[in-house]
This record gives sequence, C-alpha cells and structure tokens, in this order.
Amino acid sequence: MRVLVVEDDRETADYICSSLRALGHMAEHAPDGRQGFLRALDSDFDVMVIDRMLPGLDGLSLVKSVRNAKVATPILFLSAMGGLNDRVDGLEAGADDYLVKPFAFSELSARLSALARRPPMQAEETRLRVADLELDLIRHAVSRAGQEIPLQPREFRLLTYLMRNADRVVTRTMLLEAVWDFNFDPSTNVVETHVSRLRGKIDKPFDRPLIHTVRGAGYSLHG
Amino acid sequence: MARTPREPVSDLPTSVRLSLQFSFLYAVLSVLVFAMAYWFTQYEVRDWVLDQMRGDAQTLRAIHDRGGAGKLIDKVDALAEVSFENARIYQLQDGNGVIVSGNILQPIGAPLPATIPAAEIRLTTPVHDEVERYWMQEATIGPFRLVQGTGDHIVAEILEALGAALVLGYLLVVLLGLIVGVLVGRITERRITAILTTLSRVSEGQLSARVPASAPAGDDLSRVSARINAMLDQITRLLESQHQISNDIAHDMRTPLQRLRQRLERMSDAEVATPEDLRASLRQTQDIITTFNALLRIAQLEGDDRQARFEPTDLAPILADVVELFEPVAEDQGSTLRMAPPPEPLPMTGDRGLLTQLVSNLVENAIRHCPPGTTIEVSAKPTGPDIILRVADDGPGIEAANRERIFRRFFRAEHSRHQPGDGLGLALVRAIADLHGAAISVSDNRPGAIFEVRLPRSGRANERVPLQHLN
Repeated sequence: MRVLVVEDDRETADYICSSLRALGHMAEHAPDGRQGFLRALDSDFDVMVIDRMLPGLDGLSLVKSVRNAKVATPILFLSAMGGLNDRVDGLEAGADDYLVKPFAFSELSARLSALARRPPMQAEETRLRVADLELDLIRHAVSRAGQEIPLQPREFRLLTYLMRNADRVVTRTMLLEAVWDFNFDPSTNVVETHVSRLRGKIDKPFDRPLIHTVRGAGYSLHG
Repeated sequence: MARTPREPVSDLPTSVRLSLQFSFLYAVLSVLVFAMAYWFTQYEVRDWVLDQMRGDAQTLRAIHDRGGAGKLIDKVDALAEVSFENARIYQLQDGNGVIVSGNILQPIGAPLPATIPAAEIRLTTPVHDEVERYWMQEATIGPFRLVQGTGDHIVAEILEALGAALVLGYLLVVLLGLIVGVLVGRITERRITAILTTLSRVSEGQLSARVPASAPAGDDLSRVSARINAMLDQITRLLESQHQISNDIAHDMRTPLQRLRQRLERMSDAEVATPEDLRASLRQTQDIITTFNALLRIAQLEGDDRQARFEPTDLAPILADVVELFEPVAEDQGSTLRMAPPPEPLPMTGDRGLLTQLVSNLVENAIRHCPPGTTIEVSAKPTGPDIILRVADDGPGIEAANRERIFRRFFRAEHSRHQPGDGLGLALVRAIADLHGAAISVSDNRPGAIFEVRLPRSGRANERVPLQHLN
C-alpha cells in the first residue's frame, strides 16, 4: 500500500517509513503540515499517518483541510500521550483511527492495514468465510466444517471482527476498541482470555487452528 | 517585572470621586428646590398677603362702624406710623378722592387690586430697601375708599433665608462628603491596596501570599478577598499536585528505567542479544510508557475542564459491559464476578469513556487482589440525586489504615507488592470520581472490601458532598 507519513520528527518519520518499506509498502514523508497537505492533494495514497503536532499547519487543521478538500483517504491520527481529548478531537476532525505516541510499530502497521483495506460500505457482505469457517451476519450463526457452533453475542462480535480482518494482524487494543468500545488498556489480559475462549469453540474441536497468535503484536485469523 | 497595581482610570480614589459626584448632585437638587420655592412663594405669599389686607379692611370697617370717621382716620394714621419700614402702606380717601390719612403721598386712582412698582409710589417716609413692588388692594368703608399695599420684600426675605440654608447645607454636604469620603476611602483604599499587593506578589511567584482578613467580614470587599484566597488555594493545590506528579514520576520511573538501562548495557556488552532480552526490554519499555500514560491521564483529569465534555449517559450498560469483559478473567482465576441486581437504566451526566475506566479499574483491582474462590459483586442503585455504585468482594479486605491511602498515586499495600500492577488504578479511579463530583470510600465487607462511589447524576458535586481533596 501507499502511505503518506506527515511527521516532523525526522527519526520517527524515518523509523515509520523504513519499517513500512521493509514490509513491502511504499512510504512517503512530509515534514510539515503544509507539505503534507500538498502531497495529500497531489497523489493517491491508500492511507495517511498524520501527527498531532506539526509545524506550519497543525495536525488537526491538516485533517480538516484534507477532508474539506474532499480527499477520502483513510487517516490515522498520531498524538502525544495523556491527551485525553485528542482522540475525540482527531476523530471529529475527520480522522478514521487514532494512535497514541509512543507506539509499537506492530500496532501502527496493523491499524494501517485495517484502514487501507477497509471494505467499502455499500458492499457489506452478509456471509464471511475463512477456510471451512463460515459466519452468517443475518442469521447470527457460525459453523465450521458444516458443524454449527453456538457463540455468545460478544464472541460473535469478536469473531466477526477477526474474520473481517482475516489474513491481517489485529492487535489487542484494536479488539478492545472495536468489540468492547474500550479506549484504554486494562492491565489484566482480558483480550487473551476472550480470544482463548473463542479458540476453545472454533479451533479446539478441529484439526487445524484458524486463530493465530502473532507474537508481540496480536492475533491473525487465517486458513 | 511587576505591573503597577492601580489601573490609571482616574487619579482620585473611588470614594472621593463618589462624594464629589454626590455633592454635585446635591447642588443640582438645591437649585431645583430653590426654583420651586421661588415659584411657590410668589403665589402663596401673595395670596396670604392679600388675605391679610382683606382682613385688615374688615377690622377698619368695624372700627368705622363703631367709632365713626374720626376713629377710622386716626387708626389708619396709626397703622401708617407703624408701617414696618413701609412694608405696609395705607391711604384713606374721602368720597371725592381727597387723601384724608395714610402714608402714600400721591392719590391712588388706578383700579385695584394691582401690583405697582415701588418706584412709582411716593411715601412720607423712605421706601424699604428690599421692596420692589407693592401688592395693592382697595376696600370701601362707609364714604371712604381704603387703599392698602404690602411690599413684596417678604418674598425676597423668605427666598434669601431659603437660599442661605441651601447654600450652607450644600457646603456642609460637600465638607462632610469629603471627610467621610476620604476616611472611608482611606480604609477601603487600604484594603484594596492589600488585595492588589497580594496579587502582585502572587504574579511575582509568591504563591503563598494571601489577602489578609479585614473587618467587616462579609461585606463586598471581604467576599472578593475570600474568593481570591480560595482561588489561590486552588491554584496552589493544583501546582502542588503537579509537583507531586513530577516527584512521583521521578521516584517510580527511576527503578524501571534503571532496570531497562542495566539490561540494555548488558546486551551491548554481550556479543549477541538474545530474543528474550530484547522482548524483556520491550516489555519494560511498554510498562514505563503505560505508567507514564496513566500519570499524565490523572494529571489531566485533575487540571483539565473536562466537564465541558460531559454528556447524558447510562451507567447500567457500562456496568454490564465491564462485567462481561472481566467475567472470564475472574472465572479463569477461580473467582466469580457478577452483577447484582440486574441492571435497570441509570441515567446520569458524565464522560462515558472515563466512567467505563472507573468501573473497570475497580473490578480489575478486586480481581487482582482477591484469591481464587472470591465472589465479586458489582451493583448500582439510584439514591436521591446520586447513583451509588458498589464493587464488593469477600476477599481479604483492606486494612483500615490503608483505606484512604490506596487512592494515592503509586500506593501499594505491602502484601500486593509482588503482584503486577502499576499502583495507579485506584488513583485514576479517584481522579475520575473527583471529576464527576463523586465521593469515594472503602469499607469492610466482613469479610472483604466494599468500594463505594457516590456519583451525582448531574455529573457535578452536590452541595452537601464535600469536594474531594486534590491530593
């Protein structure tokens, strides 16, 4: 994917860009808000990373300007920690996701992948399928190898999110936000517990596991 | 550099300015009173004088009826003699208009009553200084015609007396006003100077400066002083809290940072870094970031005006979500987490995300500090203007001595030092509770602990609930 990174700190920008390139993505860097704005209008990106604090044009204004210019490219908003209002401000300005600095690259990369390949709204599937696992969004039913698996409502939501993001890494924080609407990290391993319960239902009775743990990052569901 | 305490609006202190304004107002009023008095006396005194002359004519007529013409002529002459410096003038004419008695020299033939200028009347004795005009009237007594006049100097004298009284009054008012103004002004000025001095000292960095209390307590200036002092107290508390945070950070970050540094040093000394070492370093870094983040969050909650972001929300689904999230964690640990009684809507004003964190931290705290087999019960019920949220367990409980301390940053009871956790969970709970005007307390569940949060539905502290200490 093509990523525009608007970040004034040279070292952070280099780190993000080179890490993205190492994963086979194309990364472009803009060191300030003004250049970021011009680059955003200039060419097509799959996703943009915009820092909160930028010289020239600050991050929030940049997000607003980009949206005012009818650029619909998904935006991941980066902010300094402790900024309680930053998340809401960023999302209200038109960003699609939000990440607090300092972050693990795995978290950034997972979120960027999820953003860049977000399915278009109109083409919402009603049936999700990964290998022999099937999920029917209308009937609220899950089956594997033709065998019906009863799930709790929250387990169903968790599996739906994992299947929608199949083949991609999904982090614990992403799951907390998407499935439980929690915007902070509890210190106990709640997500692990819920994922392990889900595994017990959809993986354990079968030969091949579908939910894989990605060390230091999160989970990935694939066949 | 300190700014001059007084803004140069006027060189005069307020009190002196006020008393000058007042005396000006008094002067204007005096002029008005004088004008009105002048107008009234003109008419009232004239009526009264005319009435009096009519009465005198009556008396003279009676004298004539009883004593005849001779008596009347004598009486008019006698009256003219004692004419009060020609304030009263008389003339008695016979049927042919010939003057028979009185002190008016020329015969008055003009139709009366009338007002005749004093200059046009010649008298046997000089005219009273202040008489400008005479009010003249006539009456018929037998064959005679009586002409009487009264000088208008009485009006001038009344007005003169009134004017003198008003001018004297004005001078007194100005004088008293100035004296009182200067005195009051000096007292007030002293108090205002005290306030301004305090403010200058504060702006120069002396945060301990306070406006001294001054009598009378309860007046406007005392209230202003009290407000300023309360504000300074609040600022001081906030700054102390910030200072405390810096200390906490320095204190509690030093150890993990030192450990991380040691590990990294060991790794750089070794030829090859093991993946375990690298992962441990990352984990330690993450722990430091998490702690730091929590500290900043608490600091923000304490300082920020986040109430502006409050919205109507419902506590019941928040409780249900948190219990649902942690229930498997408790179960894995051999404990039971449950909701009791089943939730009903609990509408209130607040920050949904923060309330979720509050409940979540309380539940997490209970799970973390209770041994297997514990039952943790989350409940909430509306009580008056509040919602009472309870997280109760039947675990080991909390020592009475620690019940207040557990809400402090980085406080960890002795027996829980070996357990994971950054010691900030409950400090964050308290910061969120404070923000929502909620009182928080821990009590004995015999056995176990009960955490109780009394949340005002309004999202703001009710008057009767004392605002929680900031630190």
